[in-house]
Order: sequence, then structure tokens, then C-alpha cells
Amino acid sequence: MMSSGVIMGQYYPASSPVHSMDPRAKILISVLFMIVLFVGNNFYAFAIMGAFAGLAIAVSKVPLKLLIRGLRPILFIMLFTMVLHLFLTPGPAIFKVGPFTATWAGLVQGLFIGVRLVILIMFTSLLTLTTSPIELTDGLEDLLKPFARLGVPAHELAMMMTIALRFIPTLLEEAERIMKAQMARGADFESGNMVKRAKSLVPLLVPLFVSAFRRADDLAMAMEARCYRGGEGRTRMRQLHMAPRDYVAFGLVIVISVLVILVRIKFGPVISRL
Amino acid sequence: MPIEVRNLTHIYHKGSPSEAVALKDISFRIENGEFVGLIGPTGSGKSTLIQHLNGLLKPTSGEVLVDGENIWDKGMSLRKLRQRVGLVFQYAEQQVFEETVREDIAFGPRNLGLSAKEVSERVEEAARMVGLPEDLLNRSPFELSGGQLRRVAIAGVVAMKPEVLILDEPAAGLDPRGRDAILSSIQEMHRAGMTVILVSHNMEDVARLCGRLLVLNRGELVADGSPREIFSRNEFVKKVGLRAPDVVNLMERLRECGWNVRTDIVNVDEALKEILREMGKEVPVLP
Repeated sequence: MMSSGVIMGQYYPASSPVHSMDPRAKILISVLFMIVLFVGNNFYAFAIMGAFAGLAIAVSKVPLKLLIRGLRPILFIMLFTMVLHLFLTPGPAIFKVGPFTATWAGLVQGLFIGVRLVILIMFTSLLTLTTSPIELTDGLEDLLKPFARLGVPAHELAMMMTIALRFIPTLLEEAERIMKAQMARGADFESGNMVKRAKSLVPLLVPLFVSAFRRADDLAMAMEARCYRGGEGRTRMRQLHMAPRDYVAFGLVIVISVLVILVRIKFGPVISRL
Repeated sequence: MPIEVRNLTHIYHKGSPSEAVALKDISFRIENGEFVGLIGPTGSGKSTLIQHLNGLLKPTSGEVLVDGENIWDKGMSLRKLRQRVGLVFQYAEQQVFEETVREDIAFGPRNLGLSAKEVSERVEEAARMVGLPEDLLNRSPFELSGGQLRRVAIAGVVAMKPEVLILDEPAAGLDPRGRDAILSSIQEMHRAGMTVILVSHNMEDVARLCGRLLVLNRGELVADGSPREIFSRNEFVKKVGLRAPDVVNLMERLRECGWNVRTDIVNVDEALKEILREMGKEVPVLP
């Protein structure tokens, strides 16, 4: 039912050097990569970053087809921004549509933003595709730990994420079951206008909420029965360890960051040269 | 309105890595007014099978004929079919969503486009049939007990006046009184002319209520016959992962102890008669 191409948050099980990296390293590298991607202001920077992303994808064994499918949900936003840039950037005109003028600078700028988005989505999808939800939350918790002194409830946040991820398939299954039960009573989820369709969701959503609350209650009870309490003093079954491959990956990211900064200083923004 | 299933095969997620064959080449025919029990171990395909009978699932191959017509033919209305073949899901109380019991039972009839008067008549009739006291109708469903709520859910399907009523474990998780009440109202509805298909894990119940049993195992229909025929094949029943009713086992043990009693017995009354006869005591007239 939900196989509609949303790969953000999906995990692609495989054994690859990227999969077995420390989740903390992967999260930090992803954050750094995003920052550098926005530091880069010309196509030379994108060539460097694209090459790095390509290398990561090749090593990860995640099929390229899957990643490209993941771009589908943002296709509309991409086209929309590209069109906006095409028409709203001042400069020498290519053609006119009514009061709007398409410009060469706009075309370049639009393409530039588009490429940036593609690299961004592909690389960040790689994080969730190669890291299981459990690892991801473990990594996040560890990274947030230093902020605990500032009042950030790191363990609780990670726990909430783990639980939310854990219950997504359960809730989907339940939604399907309730939907069928209501269809057996003549409910119609498919036809009618927007208002009618929204109304037809009530018989689905009310039971779904009721059962989600009941599940939450049961889970809280079960956790309490096993003497669960917050993060302080808890030990982990899976300890996180940085391995040489993590340092290599970090090294590579730092190299490309320096390169991108150099390229930025040498060539300047993409637009100014037009 | 007979239901016929011909060479039905259902494969979940066909063509994906998680492909799983749920039903393999199933054929049977259910006549008007039958009370059929569908039994089989967990995961044998019972729930998948019943969802085919009212068009919630589409067969991967094979066909489902209701009144001689293939339900997936063009021009067949699935909504109309679902009115005629009522399906009560397992833990049906979880589908209840309206503010009052009355409103919830009315959901089905309203979807049929009936007038307000007809709807309220149907609601009251259905409530009576499943044994819901009338003063509960204006309460919120969330104030009711589990057994009462289950009855509300069953009433929600009964109020559509189906000709065939399919129930998936209608008594699961209820206390003994609740399960007796629900089963006897199902029996009442059957006596009033409804065709009933009952999915159950309780062998005592199906032996007592059903005139015919279908046994599923790993997606295959492995037996089709009267409870007596099926439960007297004790070895086979065990092999499938089921268990004959206690009385069958009792009679077998008595035979092992040297009593000359029949073992093709499926309910307590029959067992009582047989034991009294063997003991040379007078056999009372039982209802």
C-alpha cells in the first residue's frame, strides 16, 4: 500500500563497507556533506561532491535505480524551483512568456539548484538506506549526549524515534485491516469529491487512533514492568566503535571540503561569470 | 444464494521477494442455509479465504461465483456483493467508531442508501438479533464491555441483512458467558434462514454448531465433510495440527479401557447416551 516510491527512511539490507560503518560517522559525514554542498557555489564544486557521492553509492551496493526512484517525490519541487529561477533571475533574455522573461542566468541558476537538490537527496537517502533504524537512533543518541548538560533529553529523543519507527509497519497493517472491515460494511474510500473522501476517513481514523493509544499504554506498561528508566547508567548491547574505515571516510570528506572551499575562492559563484 | 469457489489460488506480493502462496487450488460449494465451519491451524489461510468470498481480495487465479456469477466480472458491484455476503472480522470491536452504539450499527445500512426510518428499524432488529439490550443503543460504544462491543460490531454487519454471514473467530477472547451468548445468537440467525460460515479454533464449538467442516492446512483444502466424518479420523486431525473435541478423545480412551462404545461422537449429549447405553442404564430423552 505504501510502496509508492518514498525511500526516505527505508532501509536496504546488504553487506557493504558503507553498511558496516559506525552510524555516528555516517550521521556526521552526512551533516558535513550538506554544509559543504551549500558552501559550494559553482559546478566545479558539484563535480567534486557528485564524484564523492557516486563513490559512496557504488561502494554501498544500493541499486542506483532505487535511489533514482527516491527522487520522484521531490520531482515537483525541483521543477517548480527551476522554473521560478528560470523566469525570476534578471539578465539577458532567451524568450518571453507573457510578462515573464526567461533568462540565461535563470537557466544556469535553475540547473544549479536542481543539481544541488539531486545530490542532496541522493546522498542523504544513502544514510537511511544503509543504516538500520536501531543503529541510526543509537548513533543519534550518542551524538546528542554532549548536549544533555544543556537539557537536551538525548536518550528520550532516541527512544521516541525508535518506538515511532518500530510502529510504522504495525499501524499500516492495522489501517489496512480496519479499512477492509469498514469496506465490508459498505464504506467507500475511493469515490466522491475531496470533502466526501475526507469524511470517509473518519471510520478509519477513529479506530486507528483508539488502537494506537491503547498500544502506547500497553507498551508503557510493559516497559515499566521490566523496570525501564531513562538513559543514566544504562549499558548497550551493541557498543559503537569507530573503525579505520570510518576515519578513511572522514578523511575523504575533509579533503573534498577543502577542495570545495578552494574551488569557491578560485572560481567564485556560477552566476557572476555570465 | 450459493457460493462456489473454483480452483482459487492466492499469492501475496506476487513477483516481490516476499512472495508467499496463501491459498492453493481451493474448490468448494456452499449451499443456501448451510452452517459451515472453517478450521485449520494459524496461518493456514482461513482469513485470506473468507476475504475472497466478499471481494475484499482478488484471487491470483481461479474464481469465486456467487449465485452462479463470477464476482470479478465486469458490471458486478462489489458493494452490492458485500451487502449480501456479510463479513465480521476477527476482533471486530476494533472497527467501532461512532459516538453512539446506534450510530455505529447504522453505518452499514446507511451506506446502502436506505431511508432514515428503514435504517432505524434495521438497527433495532439487528440489536435484537445479537442480543443487545435496547437501552445500550444510545450509549457511547467506549463505555461497553468487550463482549457487548463485539456484539455491536456483529450487529453492524447483520443490520445490512446479508444472506450469507461469515464470522472470523466471533467468540475469541470473550468470557464463557459472552461466547455462549454470541454463538447462540449466531445459531438463532442460522435457524432463521441465514447461511453461516464460522471460522473458529474451538473444536467443541464447530462440532456442536456446524453441519459441515472445511479443513485448511498450509493453504490447501485438506478435508470437507461433516464434523463426525472429520473428527472420527483422529490421526489425520492431529497431523493437521488440530485436536478433536474432548468427547471424541474420551470415547477413544473408554474404548481402550475395554468399553464397547462408538467413537464417532462429536457432542456431549451423544456421548452421554452412548455411555449410559453401555452401562445398561436407562437413556433419558434429551432435547
